[in-house]
Amino acid sequence: MNGESAARDGKGFLGTRAGQALATNWAAFFLVLMLITFSLTGRNFLSIVNFQNVVHLQTVPLLLAIAETFVIITGGIDLSVGFVMGLASVGAAKLMQLFLASGLTPGLSIALSMLIVLAGSLVPGLVNGIVITKFKVPPFIATMGMFGIANGLALRISQGYPMIGLPDVLPKIGNSYLLYVRPGDFVSFFAKPENFPDNRVRELLRLIPLSLPFILIVIAALAFTLRRGRFGRHTYALGGSMDASIRSGIAVDAHLVKVYVLSSALAGLAGLFNIFQTGIGNYTTFNAQYEFFAVAAVVVGGASLAGGKGRIWSSVVGVLVLAFLENGLAISGVKPFYRYIAVGVLLVVAVVIDKLFPDMR
Amino acid sequence: MSDKTASVPAAGQRGKSLASTLGKSWVLIFLLLETVYFCFRSEGFANPNSLQIMLFYGVLVFLLATAELFVIVTGGIDLSVGYVLGFASIISIKVIEKLTGMGLDPGLALLLGVAATLVVGLIPGLINGWLVAYLKVPPFIATFAMVGVCHGISELIINGVYAMGLPKLASDIGSGHMLYIAPGGALSLFQKPVVERGVSVLEIVPNIVVVTAVVVAIFAFLLSRTKFGRHVYAIGGNMDAAERAGIPVKRRILGVYATSSFLASLAGVVYAFMYVSGKADAGASLLLDSIAAVVIGGASLFGGSGTVGRTMVGALIIAVLDLGLRMSGTPTFDKYILVGVILILAVIMERYMQERA
Repeated sequence: MNGESAARDGKGFLGTRAGQALATNWAAFFLVLMLITFSLTGRNFLSIVNFQNVVHLQTVPLLLAIAETFVIITGGIDLSVGFVMGLASVGAAKLMQLFLASGLTPGLSIALSMLIVLAGSLVPGLVNGIVITKFKVPPFIATMGMFGIANGLALRISQGYPMIGLPDVLPKIGNSYLLYVRPGDFVSFFAKPENFPDNRVRELLRLIPLSLPFILIVIAALAFTLRRGRFGRHTYALGGSMDASIRSGIAVDAHLVKVYVLSSALAGLAGLFNIFQTGIGNYTTFNAQYEFFAVAAVVVGGASLAGGKGRIWSSVVGVLVLAFLENGLAISGVKPFYRYIAVGVLLVVAVVIDKLFPDMR
Repeated sequence: MSDKTASVPAAGQRGKSLASTLGKSWVLIFLLLETVYFCFRSEGFANPNSLQIMLFYGVLVFLLATAELFVIVTGGIDLSVGYVLGFASIISIKVIEKLTGMGLDPGLALLLGVAATLVVGLIPGLINGWLVAYLKVPPFIATFAMVGVCHGISELIINGVYAMGLPKLASDIGSGHMLYIAPGGALSLFQKPVVERGVSVLEIVPNIVVVTAVVVAIFAFLLSRTKFGRHVYAIGGNMDAAERAGIPVKRRILGVYATSSFLASLAGVVYAFMYVSGKADAGASLLLDSIAAVVIGGASLFGGSGTVGRTMVGALIIAVLDLGLRMSGTPTFDKYILVGVILILAVIMERYMQERA
């Protein structure tokens, strides 16, 4: 208690309770501040349409950041998520093409491909986990190796081209909304009314992209797992102290493998979502840097690369900070390239704040 | 060393020392086996000319791997080398374009442009080093932030298109050779002799390979023979001990990141001369290769180990793989898979060898 009052004396406002709350949740405050600023500077920034778009487009980064959160809490890192996602995307596309060619219905082709890809996306994580635990390869190297392997396989499957010829229904589902409303006229669920002409679709008020409930369910489920379940407790324990975890009887290796499997499963899920969003199979390009942006979001959210620290909702805030930074700057007419610079600066600020207030969480 | 000084080693010891020598040079053996494999697998690979081609296309990775090695020896990592390369490729072209536009002689413009780029190219490294050494930002974050900054500034300069407009002299140097031998036996230095169409001229040693070899040799000397180099190893081995021993740790780390971005900018200049264009993500795909080269060469990511020589062996393994696959007609996609596999196997192998030794 003495130390606390000393800190209060030494740090002035930042030593007070409010100051500490500000420092701990600075990303959330920054997000709010940014939303207010851009609402003033950007026309149509503060609108349902824009916010829905941002959230919809951030589904993939959110999935990858959640994956990365688990891994980073254990003190590891997973550099393969972006390319595992690409592999899942082209893998699912290839399977759909094969199933369609063999005469299966589009619905069945999609369902079967999704199942196979989801099961298959456990494999990179399993390999990562085994290489890290049994062969003691540092996570950075193990997952960087997997980054190469997944990228090569994805390029091999796709031959370096986006994969087309998939069922039309994919992007229709992926980009549809829960509600289609024409004020004072009608409300329609899941799709616009059949007789409503395509070219007037903008007159409709489209509410809640289907991706929103999807990602909210994933976030809520995994946030619950991490905060309340035994799986989460063990994850934090591993990141806090590996030795203490071993002594307290946690099956450390098995748990780490599970964390990397979860990470690559989420990357696989992101790959499937990608197909629904774009209607084609996309391999991941080098300059997309999904894995680095995922790590960045997690760090902005307040996690430490040293492990033991991090929360799903904080990572979600991290993703939204990066997303609205891009979106807000774009809408305010700033050249898009500034966003790369802004992300870099923000990342350093995040770490410096974390250094200044090390034992806040 | 030790088996020379030991007097009449016992048979068992001798066997062990053979195994450990083999173990230490397994990377070299791997390189040899790989080369032999491609000599049989790929038509036309067993040809002195493919050695030149391999080295020519390998230069960027040689330079970036050397850059990465300095940082990895301190126990850090530099994710920004690829985008510093891209940044430097653009800066060099823009500066040279400006200078020639002012009516400067192309040769002088190139010289000044390259010098200016190398100076500007120190800045990302100095910032990285400052963040890592003085603000204690983890290297992963600091250098990834620099990726964003370099990427953004590069795109701002070129506005999303390629940087072009180098004088012809640049491409003459970039894709030229040291020595040309015309069919009659006439030698000419640097200048490709004018011959009739269809007559082939023997070209020996690409210029940029020579430049790269010289630079890599200088930095190998810097790391292995100078006080700076000794300090770098000491910091990577045990930072606290290095501090207690009076090594200016922070300044050295600053120097290491500056070295890294200097070499990356040099790679950017080489890229500009090779491809007569510059773009922001020119080096994006080379990050995996350059870190892989260092790790395959036996350096530990925890710092304190690794040499330029062994890193070059690692880089050559990747370069042979690249050219071998290209020449055997398989898509180069397989290269990424194999580099990934070799990277992981190399770490496992290294650990296994250490445990046996």
